[in-house]
Amino acid sequence: MGKQENKKMDITSSLAIISLAALIHASFQLSVSVLTLLSGHSIGAKHSKVKLLRLTTSFVFGAGVMTILLLSFISLLLINIFGGDIPQIIWAAGCGLLFGMALAVWLFYYRHASGTTIWIPRAMADYLNRRTKLTKHSAESFALGLSSVIGEILFIIAPLFITALVLIQLPPMMQLLGIGIYSVISLISLIIVWLLIGIGYNLGKIQKWRESNKHFLQFSAGSGLLILAFFVYVTEIIGNSVGYK
Amino acid sequence: MDLSVDIIKRGGQRQSERFMREKLHASIVAACLSVRAPEGQAEPIAHAVCDSVIAWLQQHPEVTSSDIRIVATKHLRIHHPEAAYLYEQHRITI
Repeated sequence: MGKQENKKMDITSSLAIISLAALIHASFQLSVSVLTLLSGHSIGAKHSKVKLLRLTTSFVFGAGVMTILLLSFISLLLINIFGGDIPQIIWAAGCGLLFGMALAVWLFYYRHASGTTIWIPRAMADYLNRRTKLTKHSAESFALGLSSVIGEILFIIAPLFITALVLIQLPPMMQLLGIGIYSVISLISLIIVWLLIGIGYNLGKIQKWRESNKHFLQFSAGSGLLILAFFVYVTEIIGNSVGYK
Repeated sequence: MDLSVDIIKRGGQRQSERFMREKLHASIVAACLSVRAPEGQAEPIAHAVCDSVIAWLQQHPEVTSSDIRIVATKHLRIHHPEAAYLYEQHRITI
């Protein structure tokens, strides 16, 4: 293989990294919490099923758009700084970020109290709570979806950063495919809740499931970050050092 | 019916306000509807819970909004445990 080709990541492992990062993103729960509250307010306010669906669909759409925007922005930033050739120190920093975030998620993601409150600034949580209650139109719901992704940026920055590093090394068409894969997988948990609400599932049961399994979700997200850090370290740092790539 | 009871808002940051039965009633109805209880069931439950909370408030002239939520949850649990769960979770979801 040529030198240039050696530097390009194997497309399959790149897409595997993107998928795992997106799955970790999907296990974070702020957007799901906001969607649950939004549905509760809408059903409680006796809105029609059509309006409920319009609000929840706009919310999911907003969360998707913000995920794509964030990922594209970070990728653009990195490509402007490094081009397509990422220094090993940046990969090492990315692995460190994933490792640190894994520990942080294991220790701090959920607050030590009942319910599903997470470690985001309380002002942000209060703002989202207030906005959820006031949301009546699709445009507001869309904006709420955008804000809920921003509210969780502290946690999703690590998978987004690694995905952006991987994306900028791919050919243009694969970059688009990578962004598409990341967006769809990262929205899976939201889409499931959206579907459940759409078919008339009981919100209390959804929230009860989320509360009962919150430690499992926390452990999975932390473990996923750790596995991703290890995988990226092996393929990008050790792989390059021993001349595998 | 508004009682002359002052409700101190969460964290004490906002001004206290008078107790309003309609506000409590609406929130209980909303919790019941959210767990897909029919409106015909939600309304009488909300009336019963409001009556119980008002009876409790008559012995407590100054309470916090969180006290009201705790007492309302306790009474709602008797009538509709699932709605009570969601009502209780409202502030601790995000």
